[in-house]
Amino acid sequence: MFILEKLAEYAKTDRIAIVYGDERVSFAALDRRADAFAAYLKRELPESGAPVLIYGHKDSAIPACMFGALKAGRGYIPVDTTFPPERVQQIIAQAQPELVVDLCGAKLTAQRVLKRDALDEVFAQPCKPAPREGWIRPEQTAYILFTSGSTGQPKGVQITAGNLAAFHEGVRVWFGGMKPGGAFLNEISYSFDVSVCALYEALSRGMTLWTADKQTLSDPHALFALLREAQIDEWVSTPSLAEICVQSAQFTNELLPKVRQFLFCGEVLTKKLAAEMFRRFPGVPIVNAYGPTEATVLVTGAEMTPQMLAADAPLPIGAPFYNVQAVIAGENGEALGEGQDGELLLLGDAVSPGYLNRPDLNARAFFTAPDGRRGYHTGDLCRMQDGNIYYLGRLDSQVKLNGFRVELEDVENNLVKLPNIARAAVLPVMQDGKVTALTAFVLLEKPDGESSLARARRVKNALAAYLPSYMIPRKILAVDSFPLNTNGKIDKKQLAAQL
Amino acid sequence: MTDTIIEILNDITGADDGEITPETELFEEGILDSFGLVELLVRLEQFQVKLDVANLTREEISTPAKLAALLG
Repeated sequence: MFILEKLAEYAKTDRIAIVYGDERVSFAALDRRADAFAAYLKRELPESGAPVLIYGHKDSAIPACMFGALKAGRGYIPVDTTFPPERVQQIIAQAQPELVVDLCGAKLTAQRVLKRDALDEVFAQPCKPAPREGWIRPEQTAYILFTSGSTGQPKGVQITAGNLAAFHEGVRVWFGGMKPGGAFLNEISYSFDVSVCALYEALSRGMTLWTADKQTLSDPHALFALLREAQIDEWVSTPSLAEICVQSAQFTNELLPKVRQFLFCGEVLTKKLAAEMFRRFPGVPIVNAYGPTEATVLVTGAEMTPQMLAADAPLPIGAPFYNVQAVIAGENGEALGEGQDGELLLLGDAVSPGYLNRPDLNARAFFTAPDGRRGYHTGDLCRMQDGNIYYLGRLDSQVKLNGFRVELEDVENNLVKLPNIARAAVLPVMQDGKVTALTAFVLLEKPDGESSLARARRVKNALAAYLPSYMIPRKILAVDSFPLNTNGKIDKKQLAAQL
Repeated sequence: MTDTIIEILNDITGADDGEITPETELFEEGILDSFGLVELLVRLEQFQVKLDVANLTREEISTPAKLAALLG
């Protein structure tokens, strides 16, 4: 597999793979730790090949465990600490990992748990490089990422080593210019697939990952100190992070004199932000890229131009990579022509084999074309025009918030599990065509006598036991009744008028 | 300015009048996160005030009163 070969190659140099705070992890150390972890897995676990779950936040041990699992012919499930233990337990129940690496001292119940101290001992064990013939094979699952599911339970997207190889080929158009020894901004949580750009693309090209954890990201002062020190060459982020950065007049080409390109993905790029970026970084290309987790990170992209900013349409998400086919389909699955709105279907080697243990969802979301290629119904409403795809919205109630996928029903189903909440409706708050927050409307079973803020705080705290932090609504509003539509369902259009 | 800040915060968070005071610790009490802070700053722009977030630690802007004092 390309990443494992490249790691072994750079391990012979003195290059640094990961910077995290004061810690510097060389490619040699990363590769050696991965080999040690692979040896541990081979020695201690049965040969079933079930994935390893890794629970932690931005820890430099996480990439070592991921690559170690691949070297041992296994996949991994990265789970960030934004997921509360209760939700991790649901993931464990679904995926049945034979090993859980718990880097944050959570009390998880699993077949076997490896804690921080024990992992450090594993890393310190003498070992030989894991033999190549035992490495992960193209048809095997390399990772499973759990995303929001409309039932209130997360669903696991399986990505094979072959899917990753297809992504690596396709994305070369944007990442081929990465320079060995350069600095890559590593801001994306490892349980979100855009982090593959750092872990597979940047590392396979010998770049150094400058890691910003959630504390750094939530404190602009600390974030700017990191940017100043790192001298970032390669920027991949959600637009939301750049929205925070442009709040400072210092975010210009003087702060980042070496930056080669900005690649934005994970949510809508607004014209306002793109214009601001053009002004502050003259001559630096801005790429708007797009891809669902189910088709491996990214499948389309376009370099933004002043003409696109001036046009009436939203900014395009570009043309598909050479090894991806994009089709806009009508309600009966018929292919639509230029200028017509329909669902975006994706076909190619980057499309996932499906969700873990969810044949019901797989039958609806995935298909195999007559020529044998794998296809995926994105649920995204799009239009094709002059070779570019334009994203117009969702066909269901999924939203993208700061790059994270949130099924509104997932939040609603978890709200009504809480005491004294009879019904709940969650709505996105929009600004410039982009979701900026969630608002929950709740109907109480009986009056609680609380002030709005006190209730909101209590509900949010209770919800935090079940949902990742990015899924928690900013605003919780109690209503006396819900407007209903003719089917007796909550009329969200009417409710939205109250936002 | 403190009143304006509190008014915007009430709108962002759904708090009742009087719940957020000039001394409320916005981050500690989970009222604002970094994205909420950005929304607050963007809304304050219409009053021609601009804070440079890169120069500020959270401690310096942790309450409406501290924020208002910085804005002058």
